[in-house]
Amino acid sequence: MSTITYKPSEETLLAYAAGTLRGPEAAVVAAHISLCPDSGRLVETLQRVGGHLIERLPPTRLGENAFRNLMARIDADGGESVVETALNEMTDLPEPLRRFPLGPWRWLGPGTRVRSVGVPKDGDCRVLLFKIDPGRRMPQHSHEGVELTCVLSGSYRDEAGRFGPGDFEEADEATDHRPMVDSDLPCLCVVALDGQIRLSGLLGRLIQPFARL
Amino acid sequence: MQPSHPSELGRLIEAVGQNRDREAFARLFDHFAPRLKTYLMRAGANPGAAEDFAQEAMLTVWRKAALFDPARAGASTWIFTIARNLRIDAARREKLGQREPDLTELPDDPEQPDTILTGADDAARVSSALAALTAEQSRIVTLSYFHEKAHAEIARELGIPLGTVKSRLRLAIIRLRGLLSETQ
Repeated sequence: MSTITYKPSEETLLAYAAGTLRGPEAAVVAAHISLCPDSGRLVETLQRVGGHLIERLPPTRLGENAFRNLMARIDADGGESVVETALNEMTDLPEPLRRFPLGPWRWLGPGTRVRSVGVPKDGDCRVLLFKIDPGRRMPQHSHEGVELTCVLSGSYRDEAGRFGPGDFEEADEATDHRPMVDSDLPCLCVVALDGQIRLSGLLGRLIQPFARL
Repeated sequence: MQPSHPSELGRLIEAVGQNRDREAFARLFDHFAPRLKTYLMRAGANPGAAEDFAQEAMLTVWRKAALFDPARAGASTWIFTIARNLRIDAARREKLGQREPDLTELPDDPEQPDTILTGADDAARVSSALAALTAEQSRIVTLSYFHEKAHAEIARELGIPLGTVKSRLRLAIIRLRGLLSETQ
């Protein structure tokens, strides 16, 4: 594994560890963590702090039959333990992303394909997988909120630097970029996105109404 | 007997995982469910939604107990991450009935020296690491665990810019990493 240069900020990792990130953002951070032992260690440390805070909280009384109701639920469904099964066929995806169903690959322009990742949306924010051929640029898109990207394979370059496997990039409204893939193989990345993607060129404008991503 | 010793709680989770031990599960429930309810109420959920959440989290504890590995995480850390994952799940979060959290009900008590002295192993380390932060750092970190808008709220409360809150939070996290990472 190549060295990871770009990591989420400390406060993003804390928000992940604390559970205050939105689901789509958390999925992309989880993908990064599975590729970056360094970020993983910090998150584990922050989870220990979370465990400690739970332990210190004063208890709040539950409803009278809370435990009995829960056992009734457990008995009703057989009380089986769960085994997390992969819900998609992309065996090369990091483990946290294998838990989500994937939409079909869609053509988004020359050398550019995208499929949706079935993380429950939060408002407008959703998760997409992009696969972009060498030398191609990401489709033009607006940033109407945050955009978190984790590279899974290949690499791209933009004003901020060169992003390879495991690298994480955080962009917001102020960022205007069209990263270009500079690896020999296609670049696969997972993105949590708030804004709309605007397809460029005549063809792009023609298919825009059908391409609601 | 109160199952409050961290490794005792871990053994209870293992008993549930290996033997589907209902007695052990009842004791885990008594210890954690009321705290998980508090956790979600402090995160802004109404009491009913917070109780449903605590039930859901404990159901997941029952189902996933066999995956608990005491070498990797303490009992309360493991249960915290289960609750955390439920909280991240946007579909479930819709049902939490979020209201604006009231800062006065959020914890701001400093670490008590007696916890530091008597707490066992990891709990003691985390406790003394938090105690080593400044009062303000500790408050910013603690609040960050309870709700999304914590940083904006803190900025308003302390009358400092949001960027300053974020840089203080960053320093606090780096400090915690330093205090908690060595000899693990």
